[in-house]
Amino acid sequence: MSDVQEGALPPPGEVASGPRRRPPARRPLRRRILVVLAFMGPGIIAANAGNDAGGIATYASAGAQFGYRTLFAMLLVTVALVVVQEMCARLGAYTGEGLGALIREQFSIRVTAFALLALIVANVGLVVSEFAGIAAAMELLHVSKYISIPVAAVAIWALVVFGSYKYAERLFLVLSLVFFAYPVAAFLSHPDYAQAGAQLIWPHFLATKEFLLLVVALIGTTITPYMQFYVAAAVVDRGIGPADYPGEKLDTVAGSIFCNIISIFIIVATAAAIHVRAPLESAKQAAQALAPVAGRFATQLFAIGLLGASALAAAVVPLSTAYAISEARGVERSVSKSFRQAPLFLGLFTAQVFIGGAVALIPGNLIQLLVQAQVLNGLITPILLTYVLVLANRTSVLGDAANGRVFKVVATTSVVTVAILSATVLIQAVLSGFGIA
Amino acid sequence: MAVRPSAPSVAALRARYEQRVERLTTLRHVRSELVSLAGLIGKPVLNQAGQQIGKVADVVARWDSNQSYPPATGLIVRVGRRRAWLPIDAVDEFGRDRIRLRTARLDLREVARRPGEVELARDVIDHQLVDTDGARVIRASDLYLARVAGVVQLVGVDVGFNSLLRRLGPARFRSYPTPEKVIDWASITSFGSQHGPGGTLQAAEHGLQRLRPGELADLLEDLGRTERRDLLAQLTPEQAADALEEMQEEELVQLLRESDTAEAAELLGRMEPDEAADGLRELEPGEQEKLLAAMPAEARDRVATLLGYGERTAGGIMTTVLVVATPPETIAQVRDRLRANREHDEDLAGVIVLGDDGQLLDDLTTTELFLAEPEATVDDLIGPPWPVTVTPDADLDEIAERLVETRHSSVVVVDEEERPLGRILVDDVLDMLVPDRSRFRFPRRLS
Repeated sequence: MSDVQEGALPPPGEVASGPRRRPPARRPLRRRILVVLAFMGPGIIAANAGNDAGGIATYASAGAQFGYRTLFAMLLVTVALVVVQEMCARLGAYTGEGLGALIREQFSIRVTAFALLALIVANVGLVVSEFAGIAAAMELLHVSKYISIPVAAVAIWALVVFGSYKYAERLFLVLSLVFFAYPVAAFLSHPDYAQAGAQLIWPHFLATKEFLLLVVALIGTTITPYMQFYVAAAVVDRGIGPADYPGEKLDTVAGSIFCNIISIFIIVATAAAIHVRAPLESAKQAAQALAPVAGRFATQLFAIGLLGASALAAAVVPLSTAYAISEARGVERSVSKSFRQAPLFLGLFTAQVFIGGAVALIPGNLIQLLVQAQVLNGLITPILLTYVLVLANRTSVLGDAANGRVFKVVATTSVVTVAILSATVLIQAVLSGFGIA
Repeated sequence: MAVRPSAPSVAALRARYEQRVERLTTLRHVRSELVSLAGLIGKPVLNQAGQQIGKVADVVARWDSNQSYPPATGLIVRVGRRRAWLPIDAVDEFGRDRIRLRTARLDLREVARRPGEVELARDVIDHQLVDTDGARVIRASDLYLARVAGVVQLVGVDVGFNSLLRRLGPARFRSYPTPEKVIDWASITSFGSQHGPGGTLQAAEHGLQRLRPGELADLLEDLGRTERRDLLAQLTPEQAADALEEMQEEELVQLLRESDTAEAAELLGRMEPDEAADGLRELEPGEQEKLLAAMPAEARDRVATLLGYGERTAGGIMTTVLVVATPPETIAQVRDRLRANREHDEDLAGVIVLGDDGQLLDDLTTTELFLAEPEATVDDLIGPPWPVTVTPDADLDEIAERLVETRHSSVVVVDEEERPLGRILVDDVLDMLVPDRSRFRFPRRLS
């Protein structure tokens, strides 16, 4: 008898025919579900993060203020988003490192510090807008923002630090699915299809300051710097490598397009529901776009969706900032560690949540605050896009998977266009600050 | 006994003061010897006459020298727009803010990369390293060089925040070392040797030997793709297999995918069959077949059988490594057998006693065996407590329930004729029941 005996198993050939051996029924079923859910990969989740509080507010604002006229800009933004997200997913898959780490390795320390600083500024802006979103949603349900914001900040912080966030996250995700009602609302509200279609395809631009500002806000909310870091880190986190990259590429591209289609529907639905072309005054106004679906419960429905999306992002945005910075610094980045073990990670997370919450408490128009946070993001986006572009162009980083010649042209064009738009807005703001324009 | 620290006495205060002075003196001394790499970059290279001929662009060290502290082999000097090679022999003074040459003349050679050599500023600073003492992945904020016995060596890694600030700040403060959190290079495992066929640091390997499989698994998960492969290559196959067993499933799958088939198959062959099966289960059928085919026959059969069961059933969780005995054998014989199987010690909760027809008679725990007289026979030990058994299709809840009811540390999986197939240990069940909360996970999907 051998020392270690194999259990009294039939030889492998017989395994399948054994009387008690169930055929592995679980496997194919799970596979099939996975195929369906593969659609919910990092790419689509990251892109969907664009439809957070700031996103909803900005798209609704675009629809209210300019009707269908921003649709062409959205088409361009979609192209840029696809290109950018694909590069980030590719960087994550081929190097196994997030953008924070890659920037640290590939650029000098000062250039790295600048990128991370830009990310922090953009993301703190985003956190502010998420808390503003929570406040706006709760105000629709008649809760004062001076109650809802502190409660939400403490709750989100505690959920993450004490570790039951996973379940809360699912609840928030389900709540935010409310926004899938927008396409239905758009159809039910009988928009002017001819006009909408024409505005979508026909290249045009309005040369006014307000329009430009809104386009930058659209860019900022759709191609958020946070999403680039997020998609790369999530790809790494999920262990997606070069072998699975084709699937991930599909997920990223399809995800980006899908989410922008939703965004376009938000613009269309709001444009059709609101007839006075002026900046949005309140969340209640924005909620009217859902009236064709929910009737008199439109406000409540909108509030639920906004709450879910904002609460979700209010935790994920600071977490991914903390992750990127800790990764670049090369220290512990884990929510299960104590403050003593992971001081940088948890400290950054805590600071962002509470600073974000505090800024959102400043009295003022919540919807306009939301849009302004997106403008800030839009101004910072081209900075970080440049890093992504440089990294994805380098064969020393990606080897054969570095950007090809055609891709390079498309990607560079996208980044330069975004940069020019942002620069214009910035220059205009500076000039008007001096009272020139 | 809970003693509150009383107010420090004068003697204690003095001792602390002396310690502090001593520490600061050492620090000052060490500091005066250390040359900060980040500070050295961009500093002038002077000839014997004191004329500047160029600026330091990088320092090259040799990785494969079998020494704890890699010796510098030369410098890369920027002369005008050219990068030129300067062998370390030509350096007279290796100072903190200048390099002085032995000669007045210098023949500038083209920089050629030799196998086993690394450019420190380009490939090591800001990159991932493994600190084997702390069992963690770090990123170097700065590297410290020192001339020891006439040889310029890489002696330490700085991971402190002050060094980062120093590098961010104005250039003239940059060369002043701030050794606040410095790790001895002897306990560092470095990467970057993939650029050439150069070997790895012998000394660092010794550091790696000390790490536990769980620590190694965490390190592997934290590293980037190329670094991860580098680290795996530096481990012995047994060590690598043990580490892989401890890895998160999706990380393991990724690692199997990116390794070449022969390597992956060897590692799988050395892993415990149940862990190997868990990894293989997540692969595409095609890849699975390929790896199975490349595995050693014995290991393949075990793994293939396990793959036939559902993932969260007894068959999928169990390990098929069983030590068996028959009633007439003596305890001493059984103990010898256990000793011979020490490599599987994590999976051995007991010894299965088989009847003539291969049926399970009893499951002797290691405690029972330990307490019994060596001359006694297995037959003497057969009796209560009787083994806890489940069928291969029992689900996780059922197994957990049986374990809770009986307070056993393992259950035996048997087929319908009561023949043992495998064993499930309490920790296997624990692994599946406890939600994974090891770090911030990015939201997955609705499930």
